[in-house]
Amino acid sequence: MSASKASRLGEEIWKTRIEKVNAELVVLTYGTIVAQICKDFENDYTEVNKQLDKMGYNIGLRLIEDYLAKSNTMRRCSNFRETAEMIAKVGFKIFLNVTPTITNWTSDNKQFSLVFDENPLADFVELPDDGRAQDELWFSNILCGVLRGALEMVQMQVETHFISDVLRGNDTTEMRVTLVRYIDDELPPEDD
Amino acid sequence: MSNAGGSGGGSGRAGESRLRYPSNGKTIYHRPLNRTKTAELSKAAFAYLFAEMVSYAQRRVTGIQELEKRLNLQGHPIGLKLLDLLLFREPPRSQLRPLNIIALLHFIKINVWTHLFGRQADRLEKSSNPETPDEFMIIDNEPLVNAYISVPKEMSQLNCAAFAAGIIEGVCDGAGFPARVTAHTVGDTSGSNGSGGTGGAADGEMWPGRTVFLVKFQPEVLEREALIGAKS
Amino acid sequence: MSYYFAIIGTQDNPLFEYDFGTSKQGGDGMARFTEQARQLNQFIIHSSLDIVEEVQWTNGQMYLKLIDRFFTSYISCFLTASNIKFLLLHQPPTTTSSSSSAGLPPSSSSSALTSSSTSTLVQPSHSSSSSVLPSLSTLTGGSNASTTTLGGATRTSTSIAANPTSPQTEEAIRNFFAEVYENYVKAIMSPFYKTNMEIRSPVFRARVAAAGRKYL
Repeated sequence: MSASKASRLGEEIWKTRIEKVNAELVVLTYGTIVAQICKDFENDYTEVNKQLDKMGYNIGLRLIEDYLAKSNTMRRCSNFRETAEMIAKVGFKIFLNVTPTITNWTSDNKQFSLVFDENPLADFVELPDDGRAQDELWFSNILCGVLRGALEMVQMQVETHFISDVLRGNDTTEMRVTLVRYIDDELPPEDD
Repeated sequence: MSNAGGSGGGSGRAGESRLRYPSNGKTIYHRPLNRTKTAELSKAAFAYLFAEMVSYAQRRVTGIQELEKRLNLQGHPIGLKLLDLLLFREPPRSQLRPLNIIALLHFIKINVWTHLFGRQADRLEKSSNPETPDEFMIIDNEPLVNAYISVPKEMSQLNCAAFAAGIIEGVCDGAGFPARVTAHTVGDTSGSNGSGGTGGAADGEMWPGRTVFLVKFQPEVLEREALIGAKS
Repeated sequence: MSYYFAIIGTQDNPLFEYDFGTSKQGGDGMARFTEQARQLNQFIIHSSLDIVEEVQWTNGQMYLKLIDRFFTSYISCFLTASNIKFLLLHQPPTTTSSSSSAGLPPSSSSSALTSSSTSTLVQPSHSSSSSVLPSLSTLTGGSNASTTTLGGATRTSTSIAANPTSPQTEEAIRNFFAEVYENYVKAIMSPFYKTNMEIRSPVFRARVAAAGRKYL
């Protein structure tokens, strides 16, 4: 599916087939979750990142079904580039109403970045001024887990992590996504 | 204390902060507060997050009561924040701090509920029991937080509306009306203390998820209310 | 005019403090408080908390306007939804004359020209001679001819700096508080912000400073 087609599809689904709630309810709920985990792990941010990733993974495992049903695309993406388009323009669109930019592909087409111009999860956030949070905490790390879990359900093992975040004082919020392997034996068409 | 002077006028403790900010100014302070006022996200996103919050909490507590307490605690800060956010957004004419219990409960029933759940709560009631004049009820026929969570059988007593109860409690505490707020599914009398018996069986059938948020104010709230009432 | 702005938490604990001077009519934005006056300011602000508590439950407005006065220091108050207090202490540049005439309506508009021209003249004289800075101990001393003409009576009503009780000042302070409140709400929306936590964000501080420059 082409980028523009994916984009239209995402818009269409968002407009017509998604039940919606007030964004701030979601944002505040996520905020209170992160704050609670920080408290439970006494601001051991490495552990907080792990917990968030784990939560996201659990969500991803369940969310993929919802995604496939809504997007009506049971057909497997023909290559990882198409997968990236669908993640950014359909997946993120229909759940979070944002469309991250896909960029920084490696030449082997196995690694790309999602750059978030807007990140609803972080809308009201200023990280704690403790000298560590801005170096250690990835506030939106749940999204890494969601991608990992969801793609695993469609036979793709990926590695995901943030490499920058405006909450840390970076100019962008960027997640790196790496295809580790296709889980079944079937080779993807591009890998010939 | 304030260190004197400093360039550009003003003085204070600014030097202590170590926070970094993006050069393009993408911070909360650079965005209008009303930007996300009417923004929407998918209900599914909320349902997933909420379910994860519940199961995370579940791993760290023993028993339903503790779990509900924890959900309550997680809602509390949201109530505190919404109180200021929603009052800030009121037009100047109606930008009034709630001064009495009724004004406060109306603010919750109308402003808070509409903002979070897209509609008002269904009813407000005062305890008819003369022994509990400190108890009030906010009634929601179909709380969103319950609609999206399928509670496992072994936890059938769990009421996820404890989260919403925490939000209410946060609003009350923040506004200077300290209270305990608990959520009770009507018909489930195990946690209710008798005064929550509103509605009746027929209603309970029509709205199986109907939840009563029991707001029990601290004695000082009623004392103050009596005092102000006497003055005016 | 010198200002001391404080945000006071529910336990009467300071969450934020900032002092500054007027930026209007050639003001350089610097507060002219002596060290002694600075300490006194905190004392004055804290003693006015009692008055806030008196009106807190009878007046639902957020902006409570002028609530207290201590010699030449005037205290305006804004109460947030969660009963956090914004207090602004404002002190006109002159001492005796403004305190006695501040409550009166502006007597004449004919002196508008003189007042605006003297104000720019007087400012440097204040900064060059620190002993003239207003404080209790210098209430009557150190005053000179130029400061007397700077008194509230010779100011026009549009002069925020010398008329702590004028409607214009009241409105300017309302705008200042409103802008600070917006930024305060942003600060407390963060999931990491807990009630009564000191507000240390440098961006917040910069926003308060900007509001001060803009309106006061």
